[in-house]
Amino acid sequence: MAEQFSNREGIKGMINPTRYGLERVAYWMQRLSGLGLLAYLIGHIYETSTILNGKAAWNNMLSLTQTPGGHLVLVIVIGMCVFHTGNGIRLMISEGGKGIGRPGQPEYPYRASSLNYKQRLCIWVSIALAALAMMYGAGVLLGD
Amino acid sequence: MRESIIMKIHYGTALGAVALVAIHILMRMSQKYSDSLQYQNVIANYHLLPYALMLEVILVLLSVHGFNGLRVILLELKQGVAYERAINYGSIAAMAALVAYGSRTILMAGMGVS
Repeated sequence: MAEQFSNREGIKGMINPTRYGLERVAYWMQRLSGLGLLAYLIGHIYETSTILNGKAAWNNMLSLTQTPGGHLVLVIVIGMCVFHTGNGIRLMISEGGKGIGRPGQPEYPYRASSLNYKQRLCIWVSIALAALAMMYGAGVLLGD
Repeated sequence: MRESIIMKIHYGTALGAVALVAIHILMRMSQKYSDSLQYQNVIANYHLLPYALMLEVILVLLSVHGFNGLRVILLELKQGVAYERAINYGSIAAMAALVAYGSRTILMAGMGVS
């Protein structure tokens, strides 16, 4: 029994970002950016709630968040947001059966038709849009 | 609820949130960024009813999308009846808590209770 499972990597195999190419990297980036954005959402809701404590409390919170470090976090959030959106739209379209190729007989070298150039192009476009948005955001926030 | 329906809600909330968050960001860009964060400006945003309603909708959409996404990630990592039930109910509870906390800010700031 132990021999039967000796080659199974379990979660370690699943989280290996170097395997299965760009699609697996996108899979991880989608999840990590999602977790980052959820953390930001919770932080942002807490941050804005300080306005209920009056102007002094609000200005005190701004003095913590409106710093170069705080702006850097916002720039990263912009990048995560744009990538998550772009890659998420790709996933929605793929789940609708568009752009994943036709099913066929498995033939050597067993390339999955779903992992095609359209999918890779969409991932690269998402990364490029995220980079552009980060540059624009940095210009607005850090140049303010 | 069937997972296929939950995923449709996940995608629907994503598309709705993208559109509304774009408006939310554009409101910040309608003036100098640091000026838009001044106390009076932020309070004025909450007093504007359509904008406050939009913030409430964004809050609900992002909470549902965010905590359902977290639920999916956690269910991918581990399975089991008790675990899955705990994750499902935990996600709903966290979602409800975040919506309640955010709504409190929108309501109180909108009504001028501060």
